[in-house]
Amino acid sequence: MFGLDYSWLADPAYQSWLVTGVINTLELAALSSSVAILIGMLGALGLSLRVFWLDALIELFVEVFRNTPPLLQMLFAYFTLSTLGLETTDPVTGLKMPLLSAFACACISLSLFGGALAIEAFRSGLETMPKAITEAGRSLGYSRWARFWRIEVPIASRVCLPSLTNILTNLFKTTSQASVITVPELMYYAGQIYNDTFRTLEVMILILIIYVVLVSILSYGMSRLEAYLTLPGYGKEQ
Amino acid sequence: MKRSEALIEIDNIHKSFGNFEVLKGISLSVNEGEAVCIIGPSGSGKSTVLRCINGLLPIDEGYIRVGKHRVHELRSEKEMRPLRHQVSMVFQQYNLFPHKTALENIMMAPIQVLGHERAEVEDRARKLLEKVRLGNKADSYPGMLSGGQQQRVAIARALAMQPEIILFDEVTAALDPETVKEVLLTIRELVDDGLTCILVTHEMKFAREVADRVCFTDRGLIVENAPPAELFDTPQDPRTREFLGQVL
Ligand SMILES: Nc1ncnc2c1ncn2[C@@H]1O[C@H](COP(=O)(O)OP(=O)(O)O)[C@@H](O)[C@H]1O
Ligand SMILES: [Mg+2]
Repeated sequence: MFGLDYSWLADPAYQSWLVTGVINTLELAALSSSVAILIGMLGALGLSLRVFWLDALIELFVEVFRNTPPLLQMLFAYFTLSTLGLETTDPVTGLKMPLLSAFACACISLSLFGGALAIEAFRSGLETMPKAITEAGRSLGYSRWARFWRIEVPIASRVCLPSLTNILTNLFKTTSQASVITVPELMYYAGQIYNDTFRTLEVMILILIIYVVLVSILSYGMSRLEAYLTLPGYGKEQ
Repeated sequence: MKRSEALIEIDNIHKSFGNFEVLKGISLSVNEGEAVCIIGPSGSGKSTVLRCINGLLPIDEGYIRVGKHRVHELRSEKEMRPLRHQVSMVFQQYNLFPHKTALENIMMAPIQVLGHERAEVEDRARKLLEKVRLGNKADSYPGMLSGGQQQRVAIARALAMQPEIILFDEVTAALDPETVKEVLLTIRELVDDGLTCILVTHEMKFAREVADRVCFTDRGLIVENAPPAELFDTPQDPRTREFLGQVL
């Protein structure tokens, strides 16, 4: 069909590369998304405390990670963290190996990148929190910490869910850059396969479709979550 | 420790926001079981007094004692917790948590803050919903309830903390005239039950009927403090007379 040759797809070796690639991509995305969301919440909490030096620190973090290319961040993380000389001994082979694998470096760098974006999102979510709600929480004896987790986070995350969806899909696509530091995710195996088969176009089309499907599932899931978490009648009055 | 036997004792409190002195030396004491209404023009510091009593706002100067708590000496939210257990507050804008149903709004703090047992709290919460005549709205979210219904849920939420004192801050000011009545009825029952209440209100008729004492505030001072019949019928201060002339 259209002169495209997909006969290589019948090869079990390539099939297992693709499957492993997809799994690693999903793992990388899931891990770094979770950490990014946590960073976003804690960063926004930090900003809400209005401590001068903490504000400055968080702002600096956000500016650095938001205003530099994520590919650069990943390379930076890989080369600095791997040259720190943190080593561990493989219990099976007895060989020395770096403590932080390429996968771990990618995870850290993606978490920080996503986290910086998420801080902004949660911050704007918290800023729309009516002062009255905070005051009700205080008058019922909630501590700052309990108020944050039990009252402010549930309300603010609903408000910032649409921007969080953007951040997470963005982060998902950015995982493909981990191939550059040899993390065996989907993009990495794509390269392996076309280097082997010389079927560049065919491989690219297939990978493109896989990304479209995965990201669509993610945004569909997020939109369902949004619908599920909608507060009946909230935000309509006043 | 105590200067008098009153349940709440406020002595010469001052509070400023920036250069603007909102409270200029307020003194007031409230006995157990008493219902005290605070009336006065908007901006005279009524809400600020209530917020100072339960420690939501720190005062600049003066003495506040509620039961055994010397409020002006409490510094952290943790130190405030026993006070918050003893004193509940109901706000003008209801301030319900929008992500929780009516029942959950009532149950949250007793479980999460006071550590009471869930089954017992749920039982208490359902009874309170009945008491405020909203037994059929347990699973409704605040956004689905009318203002008057939300306010009654807020009153039930305050009661669920099993407080000795409730502070009401213009709780009917944002309601439609028809729903004001049902909320006032609920409050009147609490006063009749002997709960100690401080009510900031614009409902003069209600104040006259339920209050043991009425305080008139103007520009950060309590100008006059007397039993309702006295304050409404024979006001002593010209400022009280002028205010009553406008609102009655
Ligand atoms: N957090 C605040 N910051 C600055 N000014 C405030 C604050 N809260 C109240 N005020 C001011 O203090 C004055 C008294 O407020 P308030 O106690 O709410 O009056 P009332 O309840 O009698 O209408 C008002 O002029 C108000 O603008
Ligand atoms: Mg007020």
